[in-house]
Amino acid sequence: MAGPGSSPCASCKLLRRRCAKDCIFAPYFPPDDPHKFAIVHKVFGASNVSKMLQELPVHQRADAVNSLVFEANARVRDPVYGCVGAISYLQNQVSQLQMQLAVAQAEILCIQMQNEPTLQSHHQVLELDQEHKALLLQNNNNNINNCSNNNNTNNNLGYAMSSGQFNSNFASPSSIMQMQMQMQMQDPLKQESLWT
Amino acid sequence: MNPKRCAACKYLRRRCPKDCIFAPYFPPNDPAKFACIHRIYGAGNVSKMLQQLPEQTRAEAVESLCFEAKCRVDDPVYGCVGIIHLLQTQIQNAQNELAKTQAEVAVAQTNLSQTQNSDF
Repeated sequence: MAGPGSSPCASCKLLRRRCAKDCIFAPYFPPDDPHKFAIVHKVFGASNVSKMLQELPVHQRADAVNSLVFEANARVRDPVYGCVGAISYLQNQVSQLQMQLAVAQAEILCIQMQNEPTLQSHHQVLELDQEHKALLLQNNNNNINNCSNNNNTNNNLGYAMSSGQFNSNFASPSSIMQMQMQMQMQDPLKQESLWT
Repeated sequence: MNPKRCAACKYLRRRCPKDCIFAPYFPPNDPAKFACIHRIYGAGNVSKMLQQLPEQTRAEAVESLCFEAKCRVDDPVYGCVGIIHLLQTQIQNAQNELAKTQAEVAVAQTNLSQTQNSDF
């Protein structure tokens, strides 16, 4: 890649060697960004990175380098947890949002159930046959009784969440590994570029 | 010298000294753990990283390194960054869904109070 007169890539500069025409690092570590290779070399080592890139098709190497740089930066920032710290934090956020969503959906259901007898009393047309109407009325009576109890529970949940009582501890690495396996089964990672 | 070599020293085919930095975290009954971490980071880099950490944090560091190494082996292009991206997408979707649901709650509550007012 580096011809006569052209500058060696950042990796060959750091490794103090001649930058060959077919240097595997050159397309991804330009000479104007020495820090990028320095950090990857510090965490993974040049030979490991070279091996990893050689095992990948050319069109995937740029993404691989970017993800390695990201991981290396995370590891330097947090030498104990690296990227796992970020995963733990995001997992916690997902859990909290799912809980809030469940509370909001339960609230809608309660309100809809409270609305039902009012609709009936106004003789609005419901597109249900008699059998479904009877079932809905029966369930409605049960749910209204439950809703008046649940309103207190929802208020308590909301208070607890805002006061941080439901903040769970960060997941342990082993549970994160289990979560990873579940996610891969449910939603296979897309191979599109993350960096566009 | 340890009577039984740790997984790292077994893998590296060397003697396992008494103060081997790998021994507490790579027991001999789990050779795959060190093999995976060595493949991605290399023994020298892992040793350096552990030496720079206080002893009480090294076990956690090894576990997180193992996790990231396994992610990288499973997904050589994105590694654990793929998981981060997936979680960020899940968060975005959940936030959108939550905003939509909370808007529906507001509408439903408004409808309910209007209906109740019209009863009177």
